[in-house]
Amino acid sequence: MTDADEGTDSGREAGEEQVRARLERHALPVLAAGTVALLLGIFYYPVATVFVDSVVVEGRATLSVFVGILTDPFYVGDLAGLAAGESPLSVLGDLLSPDRRLGVVGFTAYQAALSSVASVVLGLPAAYLLARYEFPGRRTLRSLTILPFVLPSIMVAVGFVATFGQNGTLNAVLGTLGLGEVDLLFTLEAVIIAHAFYNAPLVARVTTAAWESVDASAVETARSLGASPRRAFLDVVAPQLYPSVLMGAALTFVFTFGTFPIVLALGGFQLATVEVFVYQLIRDFEYAEAAALAIVELVVSLGLLYAYLRYEARHSVRSRGIRPLPRRPLRPPSRSLGDLLPRAGLAVYGVVALAVFVAPIASMVYASVSGPDGLTLAHYEFLVRRQATAAAFQVTPWDAVRNSLLFGVGSLLLALPMGVVVAVLTTREYRGRKLVDAVGMAPLAVSSIVVGIGLLRGLVFGVEIGGTRLAIGGALAIVAAHAVSGYPFVVRTVAPGLEGMDQSLVESARALGAPRARVISDVELPLVWPAVVAGAAFAFAISVGEFSATVVLATGTDQFTMPVAIERFIGRRLGPATAMGVVLLVVTAGSFVVIDRLGGADGGF
Amino acid sequence: MERRSFLAAAGATVATSLTGCSGIGTTGETSTESGRRTLVVGTYSPFIDAPSSSPGAWLKEQFESEFDARLVWQTPSNELNHYIERRKAGVDVEADLYVGLNADDLVRVDETLDESLFADAGDLNGQSDVKDGLSFDPEGRAVPFDTGYVSLVFDGTSTTAPETFDGLLTEDHAGDLITQNPSSSDTGRAFMLHTVKQFGADGYLDYWADLQANDVRVLGSWDDSYSAWSEGEAPIVTSYSTDRVYADRYDQNLEKHRIRFLNDQGYANPEGMAVFEGANEPDLAREFMQFLLRPEVQGEIAVRNVAFPATTNADLPSDYAKFALEPPEPVTFTYDELQGSVGEWVKDWSQQFAQN
Repeated sequence: MTDADEGTDSGREAGEEQVRARLERHALPVLAAGTVALLLGIFYYPVATVFVDSVVVEGRATLSVFVGILTDPFYVGDLAGLAAGESPLSVLGDLLSPDRRLGVVGFTAYQAALSSVASVVLGLPAAYLLARYEFPGRRTLRSLTILPFVLPSIMVAVGFVATFGQNGTLNAVLGTLGLGEVDLLFTLEAVIIAHAFYNAPLVARVTTAAWESVDASAVETARSLGASPRRAFLDVVAPQLYPSVLMGAALTFVFTFGTFPIVLALGGFQLATVEVFVYQLIRDFEYAEAAALAIVELVVSLGLLYAYLRYEARHSVRSRGIRPLPRRPLRPPSRSLGDLLPRAGLAVYGVVALAVFVAPIASMVYASVSGPDGLTLAHYEFLVRRQATAAAFQVTPWDAVRNSLLFGVGSLLLALPMGVVVAVLTTREYRGRKLVDAVGMAPLAVSSIVVGIGLLRGLVFGVEIGGTRLAIGGALAIVAAHAVSGYPFVVRTVAPGLEGMDQSLVESARALGAPRARVISDVELPLVWPAVVAGAAFAFAISVGEFSATVVLATGTDQFTMPVAIERFIGRRLGPATAMGVVLLVVTAGSFVVIDRLGGADGGF
Repeated sequence: MERRSFLAAAGATVATSLTGCSGIGTTGETSTESGRRTLVVGTYSPFIDAPSSSPGAWLKEQFESEFDARLVWQTPSNELNHYIERRKAGVDVEADLYVGLNADDLVRVDETLDESLFADAGDLNGQSDVKDGLSFDPEGRAVPFDTGYVSLVFDGTSTTAPETFDGLLTEDHAGDLITQNPSSSDTGRAFMLHTVKQFGADGYLDYWADLQANDVRVLGSWDDSYSAWSEGEAPIVTSYSTDRVYADRYDQNLEKHRIRFLNDQGYANPEGMAVFEGANEPDLAREFMQFLLRPEVQGEIAVRNVAFPATTNADLPSDYAKFALEPPEPVTFTYDELQGSVGEWVKDWSQQFAQN
């Protein structure tokens, strides 16, 4: 190599350095612009095409549809009295009386609140176990906690009937123990347990991440200053967990406020929620009322999220957490009460968790291998035969698996930068940033039925530009829609850590000349890495479990995913659909383990 | 016959076998290689893709080989509403005809759209063979191609279903019946309409209040309720009178799959087909409709869709009637009776049943 060559090389290097520096300088604004454009195109615009129907009726602007809903006792119960001019006190009296009327909106909020409480109660012990104890298979178990999140509601219904039904596993066990029978179906309790099945893992997952970010030295300092273990927990650890627990509860409320199929499958129409009526109205093309009702639904959900976000901003956790708390062995090191009691509590929790989380999934697996004459692999043979013989317009198992994985990875890769960018932008100091944050969470809170119709009208039907109709659909659109649904999780898991980031770290890095994007990738993200991985896992899970946007945007059977295949395989026998359900379970379980291992989300950075 | 508009709650589209038909615009592939014509047929997905059997693939093969045309199935996730939505938005309807609409679908089409979604069927060979009482479109657009009867299915090893509607109110049958949401399920809607038929528009809500007091369960979809019923959650479910065909096919205990026609009546749910106004291939579409009315094709559709033929002269296997039961007296509402009423009936029912 000559000197001249070397000169060009170093010149090129300098050039590359410059390009990279410029890229880094502009990375944040560019990513932010891209995120906003994607959200507008794939979410806000399509949804707006539906929402506008609530205020523009037959070409005239009006609020009469909202007035109609807010004064209808069927929807708002005794609160309708307020609109009719009754005094707030007498309305309150009505609501506290035994024959109160909650209305559909009130009842929906009521069951969502109960579901949130149940999810926290069932989720916290899991977080405690996963964050504070060491045992074989812990990391795998933690990766799998998110599994319920991806299960289609029809599968959960099958599992729940088989577990909690009259002839279910639970009653069989209770009968063997001579404890009598419970009749859980079809009741509000069954619905709430099913909601906890979906959402307790969410609470567990985010709380575990927060717990693992608690810095051991802070606890040690408190202890060395004479605090009892209990005091140290309450003063040092717990305050770092509250935001995550509340976030889990708030998200659970939002999801279960929009609940739809599961409530009718395990409860029945007497428990119909707001979303049931949104569906019904849309089916009958009563778009004005449907859109208005969906907006009422959205306002309640976003209002709650906004309240949570205000709280989160005020209670940000100062995490400088480099060294997580050491885990204890699950096997009690001594026979002292202090060692035995928490483990005994966990054992009791383990039994409950077996019933609520494991039994329904096990029932589903069992249904996939049982036939009229006992155990059989016939349903899996059905899948194989389907793969070999299906017509082009029929869904095939392998295509569904492949598409789910591709879309899942694609939307994860898209949701991560989107989520990080929005988290960075909403943790800066400016007026109204929490409002922006709340609006950014809308994909979690808007009725999925409205989103489906919006995508149809806004994208699939397209817009006419100069005589050509520009329509959007296909695999890329599906990935984008999934990413839009999943990115709020990344924001929610990453933002609390950024909020509490020691600003001196950021400032000194900036003072040394690092561009903002560099600071984020080299300083801030590593400090909240478990949260980033948790967000990534959620983004993936949302994509894998997504149904309605997928079927709206797919342009062919070859773009269908596992949940769509399951829906197609439902028939008089549960076998084929449950076999596909087990495929979904196995594939996603493997994916979660891989995501967590690749992410090294065990403080191992 | 297991239509599942419920699960596919939102949106729509489209499992066509057209490749890359989205992106820009429409399907547009009317003329393809060697000038073969293409017929795009919209339908509901179990018609072409069900885990047991479905007529779609067979129909496509037979039709293509005889007519030198290409048949493309389209199954939007919200079925007929997809096309109503397109017409409302002023976007081309990309299919030539729709297969699988019933009377209240047609009412919804006409109440939602100002202009017609469907064209006149015209004179079709075979139309005169359609059974009396099944034709439901007074304007002659939709022609029935099969029918189902909604009935009770009960587990004879644990109960004997009552013979009358009032029998369902007795204490013996408290908590015995699982049925479906009338606004999202065909069977649930048929059962509710049957109660309107029986008790009148003034009386059906009272009957339902009594039914609710007797612990009836109304679940969201046929799938939910049939699987809960199969698990023994309750011994009676609203379903189709062809239930024993499946039970026989899967070697199940027939005693656990017994049919009851309340008051000796079954609610008929004829399924029709109609050509879209402005179809690219209206003539081919009508040829397809005539093809569907042929005796041998009628028999195949009935067997593969596990339903009953719409015509009197269908070629059915001689033992078909052994497991596929027809009610002594079919009942149904006509288009004219449903128009302007069915929406209110469902709405009033919902508001009464979900009172919180």
